[in-house]
Amino acid sequence: MELVNEQYVTEKADMKELIIEEINRNHKLLHRHKLNKNSIHVGRDYHNDIILSDPHICPSHISIDFIDNQWQITDNQTINGTFVENPKEKKHEANQHIVRDGDVISLGKSQLRLLFSDHAVEPTVAFSAFESFINFMRHPLALFISIAFFTIIAGGIIYFDRPIEVNFSQLLVPAISMTLGFALWPAGVALVSHLTKHDARFMSQLAVSFALFNLMWFSDIFQSIVIFNSSSNNMLPMFVTFLFVILAFTLFWLNSYIGFHMSSKRRIVISACLTLLLFGGTYLIQYSKKPEFDPRANYNATIMSPSFLLMSSNNADKFIADSNKLFEQTSKKAQEK
Amino acid sequence: MKAFFILVFIILSTSSSFATEQAEQLFNQLKPSLYQIKLIDKASGEKSSIGSGFQISKDGIIATNYHVISSYALHPKKYRMEYLDGEGNTGLLALKSVDVINDLALVKRDIDATNDAQANFFQISATAPHKGEQLFSLGNPHDLGMIVVPGTYNGLKKESFNERIHFTGSINSGMSGGPVVNKNAKVVGINVATSGNSIGFLVPHDKLAQLYEAFLLSPPESIEQQMAAQLTANQNKLMTSILNSTWHEKSLGKYGMIPIIDVPFIRCWGDSNADKDDALILAAVANCSLDENTYISSHFFTGAMEMEFRYMQANNIGSNKFYHLYQQQIAHAGAGNRANKDNVTQYQCHHDLVMPDNKMIENKSILCTRAYKKFPDLFDVLYLSASIDKHNQALVSHFTIAGINQENALTFTRKFMEAVSWN
Repeated sequence: MELVNEQYVTEKADMKELIIEEINRNHKLLHRHKLNKNSIHVGRDYHNDIILSDPHICPSHISIDFIDNQWQITDNQTINGTFVENPKEKKHEANQHIVRDGDVISLGKSQLRLLFSDHAVEPTVAFSAFESFINFMRHPLALFISIAFFTIIAGGIIYFDRPIEVNFSQLLVPAISMTLGFALWPAGVALVSHLTKHDARFMSQLAVSFALFNLMWFSDIFQSIVIFNSSSNNMLPMFVTFLFVILAFTLFWLNSYIGFHMSSKRRIVISACLTLLLFGGTYLIQYSKKPEFDPRANYNATIMSPSFLLMSSNNADKFIADSNKLFEQTSKKAQEK
Repeated sequence: MKAFFILVFIILSTSSSFATEQAEQLFNQLKPSLYQIKLIDKASGEKSSIGSGFQISKDGIIATNYHVISSYALHPKKYRMEYLDGEGNTGLLALKSVDVINDLALVKRDIDATNDAQANFFQISATAPHKGEQLFSLGNPHDLGMIVVPGTYNGLKKESFNERIHFTGSINSGMSGGPVVNKNAKVVGINVATSGNSIGFLVPHDKLAQLYEAFLLSPPESIEQQMAAQLTANQNKLMTSILNSTWHEKSLGKYGMIPIIDVPFIRCWGDSNADKDDALILAAVANCSLDENTYISSHFFTGAMEMEFRYMQANNIGSNKFYHLYQQQIAHAGAGNRANKDNVTQYQCHHDLVMPDNKMIENKSILCTRAYKKFPDLFDVLYLSASIDKHNQALVSHFTIAGINQENALTFTRKFMEAVSWN
C-alpha cells in the first residue's frame, strides 16, 4: 500500500505527461500524441518523437524539456523560427518559452497545441430530445416508409396537375426523379460534413430530411384547406405560411445537429440564416420578376373538393358590403400618384 | 379573257361615271373648308399623329375626331395642334370641346376677318339619310392628300350601344375626322372607324350638332372634367338600360343556369368540347360581350363589358383531380380593356365563400377593382365566381366591366350573383 503510494508521488513529482495535438489552421484536431518523457524532440527527421513532414520545418526543429517542474521550449536556431500563437495574445518567439496548458505554437506552416493531462474538458453533452426521433426515423423500415410516402404524394400531385389521362409509369418516372432530386439535399449535407472531417451520417440526414419534407407536404395541404375556407379578410392563412418557416428552420437545425459539432447558439444562428436565405431569396426573386404594372388581377383562386369545405358561406349582402372597401382602397391609391 | 376584263371595265365605268362627276363637283366645292389636322411633338418638332377635319362655323370652329387630338387633350404641354388647308397654309388650333363617347372634338383656328374665302364652311344636315343613299366621304388617307370616296349609307350599326352609321365605302386611317356628305353637300356623318373590306363606320351628324349646340350655350371649363362627366353619364345610361332589361334564364350544360340579358347591344357566342371524347372535363362556354370600346388614348380604352359562363363536368376522374384542374381554369383572369399604369391602379381583390339568397349554389366569389387615375369615381371591375358545392360539376361565372362607378358595379354584381345557379 505504501509502495503504491510512493510510486504515485514520484510520478507526480518528477514527470508530467505532455499531450501534443497537431491541429490545422482552424484549430481542428489532426493527430494527438501523449508523451511521457523528460525531453521531447519535434522536427522533420526520423529521430524525433513527433515527426512533421512540413517542408518549412527543420530536421531538428525544437525540443521541449521538463526542467524544474515545468516544460520549456528550445528552438534549435531554425530557419523559419517557432512562435507562440495563442488566440487573443500577441504572437511572439517561442524560444525559452515556459509552456502553459493550452498553448498553441507554430512551426513552419504547422501548428501544435500543448496540453497537460489535467486540462479541463467541456462538460458532457446530453443527447437531444431529437436523438430518439433521429434514431427512430433512420430505422430502415421507417426510412423506407417515409421515402415511399414522399414518392406517392409527389406522384399524386403530378397526377392531379396533368390535364390529360396518364398511366402508372408516366407517373412513376417523374415521381421517382422528384424523390431523387429531393434526396440531393441530405446527400449534399452529408458530403459537406464528410469533407469537414465530421461523421457523414448519410442515413440519418436522409431520414430526417424526408421526415421534414413529408411534414411540409402536410402543411401545404393544410394551408390550402385554410385558404379555401377563409375569406380575404381572414388573417389565418398568413399564420399558416409561418408554419413553413418553422419547418424549414427545423430541417436546417436537424441537418446541422447530425452533421456538425457546434455550439447550440451557433447552430441556431446558422439554421436561421439558411431559413432567411431560402425565404428571403425566394421573395427577392419574386419581387424582382414583378412587373411595374400588372394588367391581370392577382387573387387567390384556391378551390377544393366539397369534402374539404368546413366553413359555412356568407350571404351576398355581406360580400357586397366587404367589396365596398375595395373601391375606397383603390380610389385612395389612384389619388396618391 | 382579256376581252372580258375590258368589258367589265367599260360597264363599271359607264355606271359610275355620273357618281364620279358628282364627286368631283362636290370635292371642288367643299375643298376650301377641309383641313388636315396635325399634332406636332414640341420637343422633336415632328408630327406625331394626323387626321382630317372640317370647318362648321363662320368663326373657325373645326370638327374632327377625339382620337385624332387625344394626345393633345391629355398632354397639352407636350404637343401643339396645327391645321393644313388645301392651299398649303398652316396655323395653330385651340381645343374647345370634346365628346369622348362619340369620338368627336371641336377645335378652333384663328380667322382672318378681312379674307372672305375663309368664310366657307360645311352645313350639318337636318335629317338622316335613307338606306342605300349615296354618300361621299372626304379626308386625307395616310397623308396622301385630300380625296373623296363615294359609298352607301346602310343604316345604323345594329348592335352598338352608342349609334354608329354603317357606311359601305373605304375609309382609311388619316381620314378620321373627315366629313361624310350627301349629294347636297350637307354633313351626315363623320369618318371614325373601319373594319376593312369597304366596311366603314361614321358618327351620326346629330351627335356633332348636339356637341356644337352645347358648346355654343356653355363652353366646357376643363376638357378632363368634361370627359369624366361624359364617361360617368354614359356608364349610367348603359347600366340603367342593362339593369332594367329582362334577364332571361338559360341553361348551360346539363345543370347550369345562367342569365342572358335581353338587349341588342350585348351579343353572345358559345362553344363546347363535346367533340373531344378523351377530354377529362366536359366543358360548355357561353360568352357575351358589349362591343363598345371608348377610346381615351392609344394605351387606354374603356366602356367594354364581357360576361363568361363555363359549365364543367368531370369525365371519369375523381373529385380531387377535377377540382385541381378546375382551379387551373380559374386561376388567371385579366382586364377586358387595355390600360396602363398612367391611367389605372393595380387591381385589388376580395374573395369569400358566398351563397346567394336563392340558396341554390355555393360559390367562391372574387371581386377585383382598379380605379381610374384621371377620372375620379370610375373603376374597372372584374368578378369571378366558381361553384364549390358539387363533387363532379362546376359552374364558373365571370364578368369584367370597364369604366363604371361603385354603385352601378355593386348593383350589377348583386343581380349577377343571384342570376347564376343550378337548375
